[in-house]
Amino acid sequence: MLRHWLTTSSGSSGRVERSLSVGMYEGKNVIVTGSSRGIGALLTRHFLDEGATVVGIARGPANCEHQRYLHHQADLAVPAEIQQLFVGLRKTVQTIDIVINSAAVLTSQYALIMPAAAAQSMLNLNLLAPFLVAREAAKLMRKAKSGRIINISSMAVSLEPEGDSVYAACKAGLTTLSNILAKEFAAFNVTCNTLGITAIETDMLKQLPHDKIDAVVARLPIPRYATADDIVNVIDFYASERSGYITAQTIYLGGVH
Amino acid sequence: MANKDTIIEIIYRALRNLNEELEDEKRIALSPETKLFGPNATLDSLSLVSVIVDVETAVSDEYGRNISLTDDTAMTQAVSPFSDVTTLADYIVRQLGQG
Repeated sequence: MLRHWLTTSSGSSGRVERSLSVGMYEGKNVIVTGSSRGIGALLTRHFLDEGATVVGIARGPANCEHQRYLHHQADLAVPAEIQQLFVGLRKTVQTIDIVINSAAVLTSQYALIMPAAAAQSMLNLNLLAPFLVAREAAKLMRKAKSGRIINISSMAVSLEPEGDSVYAACKAGLTTLSNILAKEFAAFNVTCNTLGITAIETDMLKQLPHDKIDAVVARLPIPRYATADDIVNVIDFYASERSGYITAQTIYLGGVH
Repeated sequence: MANKDTIIEIIYRALRNLNEELEDEKRIALSPETKLFGPNATLDSLSLVSVIVDVETAVSDEYGRNISLTDDTAMTQAVSPFSDVTTLADYIVRQLGQG
């Protein structure tokens, strides 16, 4: 919370400080994909705490109750469901200020035995869905001539771990996607950036052997797991109204590059 | 059944939205013969994209149907739907008339 400290005179006891809390996203409408779990849930809570209205999108039912949380159940791997979702949003929220593309699926498997269906699911959810969500949101943002699109990527792009061929390729593609959308959307003041996160305790990470993740983390320039604040810090930077000149950028946490 | 006059009004609305962004001398005339794409068209590619997005969105909102004006069907028409306002309206009416 941004805390605006007011200082008032209070008789002989001198000065008394009171705090007024003003959320930095007051009045903003934010879309968070994958809002039920992991990074999406973390960022949903952050934006709600900071005063935003959050349109959360997940395949399952809502697991967040808040008067400013609007849950939409949709399978983002299905393009028609994304289009239908935005038909509804045009009638309800009408404007979108910030989009967080965080929904993702990871199947970590040696390429020789990776099922085609698992690879296709990753392509659909990790690459096609962010494109379609960004595209549909940008149609609303161009009317307001303002917007922030932030894609969540991964250290896997840089570290290229065995088993993550398709996942890492999708995330690498996400950066290219962001950079080109940044050019196309610049005309209406919509920025598009990417945050490459390192390991953080999420349901997705729990699928992987902890000792292997520990070993990867130990080799990072800053050898520790990411914290919620590490992620929120960069999201706030990209989402800030002051960041209108920041676009087509990728920031990796922990010194990964 | 979509009415051609209603569709033409949707296209005009998209052109009016575009004109709000353009300087006076670059504004697009609103007429059934207005060229949208091709050698004599007055719209640049970004302006045409803007018109397409507005028209697709309005058709979706007003008719409850998502149509794509840039898919293979549109691009392989003998006469480009974007030749002028009338050809675009005719194409949209045909698309809405199909299932």
